[in-house]
Amino acid sequence: MRRSTGPSVGNDDSEIDRILSREDEILPSSGFTVSVMEAVRREAAARPPIPFPWKRALPGLLVGGVVLALVLVAVVRAIAQVDRTTASRFSTSLPSVMLPIFNGGVESAAIWAVLALLTAFVSVKLTMRLCGQE
Amino acid sequence: MGMNASASDDQADVDKILAGDISAFEGIVRRWQGPLINLANRFCHDRGRAEEMAQEAFLRAYRALSQWRRDAVFSTWLFALATNLYRSELRRIPARTVPLADIAEPADPRAPDGGLADRDYDYDRDSAVRRAVFALPPKYREALVLFYFHEMDVTTAARSLGLPEGTMKARLFRGREILRNRLPQRLAVAHLKEA
Repeated sequence: MRRSTGPSVGNDDSEIDRILSREDEILPSSGFTVSVMEAVRREAAARPPIPFPWKRALPGLLVGGVVLALVLVAVVRAIAQVDRTTASRFSTSLPSVMLPIFNGGVESAAIWAVLALLTAFVSVKLTMRLCGQE
Repeated sequence: MGMNASASDDQADVDKILAGDISAFEGIVRRWQGPLINLANRFCHDRGRAEEMAQEAFLRAYRALSQWRRDAVFSTWLFALATNLYRSELRRIPARTVPLADIAEPADPRAPDGGLADRDYDYDRDSAVRRAVFALPPKYREALVLFYFHEMDVTTAARSLGLPEGTMKARLFRGREILRNRLPQRLAVAHLKEA
């Protein structure tokens, strides 16, 4: 309800607009600009964070990856050579998720190895990303 | 200073800074310190904190200067950056607010005459409306703050908040609706007591 007595009791949008449009302005304190510029100069003078040396690390990482893959293949081959009877004996006591490694031969073992490598790669990338955000 | 002159000054200063002349940033600070502090003050109603938040906004702008895509005016980019910072700062450490239901403005009992009482009443009502805005849920409060800060320009306010205009209009409508529902009764009661 709009009242007619006294200074208008506004209950419509125009009254709200009128009140909120004329909010008092404050002036920046005298040292504000100097303070901001000091902070900016400190920021500019600070050494940038040392980036990870990808160029130097890449050959090492590649060699490490290849060695790891070779070791994995060797291990998988060694497991594949185990007698099937031994494997079936193992299979009774192993969880079902491990069975393809012993029953399926080198191919399924390779899949597991690739999955493990992928998981490790994703973990490393995720960790590096999180560290980079600090 | 006109907006075009300001925009070209901003662009020239940004070019200098990116070329290594840090002191050119002072021009940007001098041009935009008032608006940025006042915007922060509308968010937190605390002068000291407003200056701290504005300083942090300038610092972030300096760091991110190379990310300013020149398809938008510099001030639009700066306000959007500052608005984001102010919102997240206030989510981290909320400003002190009075619950909307607790906002009631008694008239000044010292008023010796009707004229002064009217002026006091005006002051009380305006103060109550501003405090009521401050007590709104954040999404409506932010919409109203930006809308009135940008002189009721929905497009600019929506851009500062990173919202579509339709969403901005809906939030403004709802925010005003809450104010309309809450305040008139309280103010009317205060006015009747005064009479």
